[in-house]
Amino acid sequence: MEIDPDVQMEDVVESQHLGLTEEDDLSDVSHDDYRATSMIPATAGVIAELSSQSRNQLDDWITRLTDCQPLSEDDVGRLCDMAKEVLQFEQNVQPVQAPVTICGDVHGQFHDLMELFKIGGPCPDTNYLFMGDYVDRGYYSVETVSYLVAMKVRYPNRLTILRGNHESRQITQVYGFYDECLRKYGNANVWKLFTDLFDYFPITALVENQIFCLHGGLSPMIETIDNIRELDRFQEVPHDGPMCDLLWSDPDDRGGWGMSPRGAGFTFGQDISEQFNHRNNLSLISRAHQLVMEGFSWSHEKQVVTIFSAPNYCYRCGNQAAIMEVDENLSNSFLQYDPCPRPGEPSVSRRTPDYFL
Amino acid sequence: MNIPATTAFSGFTSISTPPAKSFLPPPNNEKLAIAVDDWRIYTTHNPILNSVELDKVTESIGIPMPEMIFGNNGFRLLHEPSGWEITFDALNAVDGVDKTGDRDGLLKVSCSQDWLKSRQKRELESKISGVVKPFDWTYSVAYSGNVTPSPNNTNQISFEVTEERIPIDKLKRPDPILFFDNMILYEDELSDNGSSVLDIKIRVMPERLLLLCRFFLRIDGVLFRIRDSRTYIEFKTGEVIREFQTQEATYESLRKKIPSYVEDYGVYLRDPNWVSQHIPIQSVMCEKAIIT
Repeated sequence: MEIDPDVQMEDVVESQHLGLTEEDDLSDVSHDDYRATSMIPATAGVIAELSSQSRNQLDDWITRLTDCQPLSEDDVGRLCDMAKEVLQFEQNVQPVQAPVTICGDVHGQFHDLMELFKIGGPCPDTNYLFMGDYVDRGYYSVETVSYLVAMKVRYPNRLTILRGNHESRQITQVYGFYDECLRKYGNANVWKLFTDLFDYFPITALVENQIFCLHGGLSPMIETIDNIRELDRFQEVPHDGPMCDLLWSDPDDRGGWGMSPRGAGFTFGQDISEQFNHRNNLSLISRAHQLVMEGFSWSHEKQVVTIFSAPNYCYRCGNQAAIMEVDENLSNSFLQYDPCPRPGEPSVSRRTPDYFL
Repeated sequence: MNIPATTAFSGFTSISTPPAKSFLPPPNNEKLAIAVDDWRIYTTHNPILNSVELDKVTESIGIPMPEMIFGNNGFRLLHEPSGWEITFDALNAVDGVDKTGDRDGLLKVSCSQDWLKSRQKRELESKISGVVKPFDWTYSVAYSGNVTPSPNNTNQISFEVTEERIPIDKLKRPDPILFFDNMILYEDELSDNGSSVLDIKIRVMPERLLLLCRFFLRIDGVLFRIRDSRTYIEFKTGEVIREFQTQEATYESLRKKIPSYVEDYGVYLRDPNWVSQHIPIQSVMCEKAIIT
């Protein structure tokens, strides 16, 4: 992806309009005040917080990552520290302004993420909201999550990154991110740095008080958006409880709350979605978490949409990916895309002849 | 934590190859992959089902489909002179899943008891309508393909149970592989509680072929299960040997077989080949026919 250097200046120019310069020190601003800044329209950034040195460093990292080159272990440590500074002040229900482009699972498919930004328009002149699952399964979880976190720190008001159920210590040990870190760094330090950072990610977002965005779905223990604001999210994704449900549950054709035959996990029916949207004055629940052939799928009479942004998932499903553009009037449209060509990726590895028995 | 004992797999007295049912219109991109001796091998590779197809088969089969359902993939092995053929496809396979949980019993994920306990504590029970239509969410099947009688009845070839086994020594020879394919029929990640995969591998050598249709299940913290169906054909003699083998072990028992110095043990546990070589065999059954 190419980032227009002119575009990168935009935030700086606007912050000067606010009377801030990049040297302004906001460190003595109380957290409440800082939170308030996130209510300022997305075009008025708080990038002034970053020193020019940090900005240059971030730009270098982003350039490097754009070429799918992982950062050094030390740089990942620095990046994660910077990201904690930003993410700790974000809310459990992070407010987001329209227009914004909403994206689902990416799962380490770095080249497809670059394709996503081509299709949706480069960040930061397009605002993005990602609903989790950046790591595991694909071959480039390290590069994918490094890139998104670097972009988040560089353009905090342009990009919102929520937590998915894969942004967890336990799941990443099973589904690939841990192994990838070992392979690429020779030790698990980078895995530790990122999984510690995941505890800071916001768990839901609210676009213009209308579109409720999260990775999984609703929870029987959450009746109002305010219930979510009361949660302590700074922890490993629990095995149960409301935070677990928000990252794991699925909509279902059957009404009411259902329990999965697996013995863990909820499904919620159309009546539940309607009640929740009505009670909270919402127009839509936007979520990810499930593979869909077309990249997006409506359910519950358009009360719920599922968005999946990893084309040809796991390099073998042949599915399309999609992102949802939400304009100033909160009307939405979908952009679908196919996998980008994959230089050097073992896309057909599964068909290499072998003398199986 | 409640780890269920592994279940002895019983109830099969012969290898089952029922006639294929038709769930969707046949895809129009079947390809003759190779013709060797009297045998023809046809393959159909397609993406996972689209939403319209998915709704249709979910209704006709009656359970939620696996997350990745390659319902338009197929594999057909035809003996041209006799017209005998065996086919493999995802929908006929998944149709064999226990649709109520009454037949095979329902396994639970490893965190299930904790999960249930805390749910009850919070007195949520009244809100929950219960398990939504129980079915075997592991998608376990014993699938050996389908043999559909042909109109002129040439498919009435009977297989006899035999003590004979597939001649591994012949398959270990480094004969050239004329054709190889690997096709996934379905796959489900069990909502990140493990993995359930049914896939097919075939290799054709100048004098014989081997087809392996493998069901592989890993439930993290709970168990491993493999059900292999092999079809072996010796071209010159027309000998066809079908073998069905089941393997199962608890998760812990297999994890203990990985040397303690190994840091990324997940790599082993995700590899069906490694798993198959390290878990006990529960049962093997062989059948044979001469097809000329």
